[in-house]
Amino acid sequence: MELGELWAIFGPGVAGAVFGAGWWFWVDAVVCSSVNVPFLHYLPGIFATIAALMFNCVRREDIDYSPYDDGEWRLKLWLFFAYVVSFVSLAASVGLLIQDSIVKSGPSVWTGTAGVLQCVFVLISGLIYWTSHPE
Amino acid sequence: MMADLLGYLRNCLQTRKLAVLAILVSGGIVLQILACALYNNWWPMLSVIIYVLLPMPLMFLAGSDGYSLLSESDNGWVTATKFLTGASAIGSIAVPAILKHAGVIGWGALVMELSSYFIFLLAILVYIRMNDDGDDYNFF
Repeated sequence: MELGELWAIFGPGVAGAVFGAGWWFWVDAVVCSSVNVPFLHYLPGIFATIAALMFNCVRREDIDYSPYDDGEWRLKLWLFFAYVVSFVSLAASVGLLIQDSIVKSGPSVWTGTAGVLQCVFVLISGLIYWTSHPE
Repeated sequence: MMADLLGYLRNCLQTRKLAVLAILVSGGIVLQILACALYNNWWPMLSVIIYVLLPMPLMFLAGSDGYSLLSESDNGWVTATKFLTGASAIGSIAVPAILKHAGVIGWGALVMELSSYFIFLLAILVYIRMNDDGDDYNFF
């Protein structure tokens, strides 16, 4: 069995596992936190999930790769917004990690780290699902 | 007569695999309950919820077509089933780990829970092997 076939068979399962791992890291951080985690800290993870959903709505064959053609511009705009949301959520989670490590009275460093891990895993899971789901 | 003997041997092997499966599943259940009873702390039963959740997508969405899970499938529902199964599988490892991290259960309970999970996994693999073997024999 070649790699492409194996990827198409087990890819969605691996994507589910990585997605679950991301969110369960966040659940662990919230449960084990000694202070109440403000809602602001939940947002990067939620937006990363939304971004992963957004770029999974696009079917791979529909993308027209020629850079100067006018075709399929709505699709490209949708993908662009998905990328913007995913990168902003990643940057926000890293920013919150830095804030958590400087400000001692807020959530702990583990909360910030778990937030970054959550974003990264959710986005990677979205990518895995996108590249592996058969049409 | 040789064919009879072969048929009898195959039946015997099938029964033995069934016995191994039964032992594995009951061993898993025993370990799960021991993880709670030995420490008089019933929190590990939370992972039982995930064990119940795990086969649900398989039962509802994949139906009786077991082959479509181990092959490339165009059906969007089968892909979603694989995704949900993967997420629940990680959840079964995550829930005991979170309970240990929060200090609700101890190391012994965690080890017993995780070994119960891997025994269940082994049982599922044996079940799949058994089904595959059964199909091959029936083509005679």
